[in-house]
Amino acid sequence: MSSVLLIRLKIPDLTALTALDAGRALLPAGQELMRLVREEVVLFEPAGESRAPGSAAARELDAGLLKAVETSNFFVNPNKERYRLIAASERGEAWTPPEGSWGILTRPRGDTRDAGLLERLQREHPLAGLSAIRRGRVWWLWTRGADGSAGREGALEALGPVEHAGRGLLVNPHSESWLVLPGPIPWTRIETFLAAPEPAAAATTT
Amino acid sequence: MARAAVIQIPGVNCEYESARALERVGIEASILRFNEPASVLSEFDAYLLPGGFAFQDRIRAGAVAAKLPAVERIAAESERGKIVVGICNGAQVLVEAGLVPGIRPGRVELALAPNKAPRRQGYLCRWIWVRAEEGPGRDAFTAALEPGAVVPLPMAHGEGRFETADPDVRRAIESEGLALLRYVAPGGAPARGWPDDPNGAMLHAAGITNRGGNVLAFMPHPERANALKHVPLDLPGTWGEARRRAVGTWEALEGDGPGAFLFRSLAARLGAATPAGRSR
Repeated sequence: MSSVLLIRLKIPDLTALTALDAGRALLPAGQELMRLVREEVVLFEPAGESRAPGSAAARELDAGLLKAVETSNFFVNPNKERYRLIAASERGEAWTPPEGSWGILTRPRGDTRDAGLLERLQREHPLAGLSAIRRGRVWWLWTRGADGSAGREGALEALGPVEHAGRGLLVNPHSESWLVLPGPIPWTRIETFLAAPEPAAAATTT
Repeated sequence: MARAAVIQIPGVNCEYESARALERVGIEASILRFNEPASVLSEFDAYLLPGGFAFQDRIRAGAVAAKLPAVERIAAESERGKIVVGICNGAQVLVEAGLVPGIRPGRVELALAPNKAPRRQGYLCRWIWVRAEEGPGRDAFTAALEPGAVVPLPMAHGEGRFETADPDVRRAIESEGLALLRYVAPGGAPARGWPDDPNGAMLHAAGITNRGGNVLAFMPHPERANALKHVPLDLPGTWGEARRRAVGTWEALEGDGPGAFLFRSLAARLGAATPAGRSR
């Protein structure tokens, strides 16, 4: 079981604001995009005994990670970012989107491991039982369809994987893969998605 | 006189040197803001989307600019056969707008993904070598080069790796000669990965055209190597030797640099000027 670090800006996120503005222009009449939030996802993949939930090794890894995130300056810049470290032992079964939202989780089509970040972490805060750090990005969207529903399908077509200049925005399927988070989704599904060698280019939705 | 529009999108930073490179070969260049009316854009014979960081590369490089009405207009003009060149960030815009490679016109069939190189990531700025291949874009973009010529050029990007998830698109690019310019070793031998290919692009592509051969997405910066004075003194090969010989000779330093081939080719295609001879 992996621990997860979620990072978002606490200053105005100009990328998210630009995506909001560009996204609204792409939506069909009657559909609304009320809010959009960008969050970076950092997955800490355990190794060996640390993989056993609740084990002493897993608890030690979680404690070490918390200290490393709190005291280093290469995960989070507290002057502009806020973060949430969800320890493997505390994460529960599923990841639940913020209230009223749904998400598009993206990752590079190639290797998601950040070897440089792992090397720096191990150099400055040596941790046993950590095999890899993986990265992704999630876009949380608050949408409303013409019928009063969340209008997720229409919004995904308009704002998700880019097909042509008039359709798609947040994902280029030739360099990224994506997973739709319509509601609570098992963490194991997230782990599988982020760790897969190179997911197919076609949409992977729940 | 042939007229080209250099499109100034918020965040680009190469519009002036791009315009100068066009003017140098006899093409009248106008720097136009991104929100000019479509009717104004239609008056031009060619379009150049310069390098930089349009909309600060928010979301992805080129992703937001690709939605601009000006780019939509340029796409329409390209369908009429007009010339369109995107350099670096401009290339990213053209790819995100689906102008290149245009196997299924209008569809986005490529990405310019983050560079991939051993033990390094992110932005990379250095000189690389490209070879001109045969393809439908030769007439417009590389006619001033001998077939197979190898030229050094500066590159400066973090997201320059041409990539597609569609094997049919990759096959078409390869079989139809759409990868008009490819990274090679300094002597011209095929690239064998890093450092010859600085970003891990499929087919070692540095520049890809559309099927019509009138739209080019090119990652290196020919406008920054337009005159011999732009070549670094320590560059290996014939261009470096020429640069060292030219020290103290103003006229020679102002002569063509290795990137001039693109603008000379454009000028010839547009009937603006006659190429001053093949590049070395």
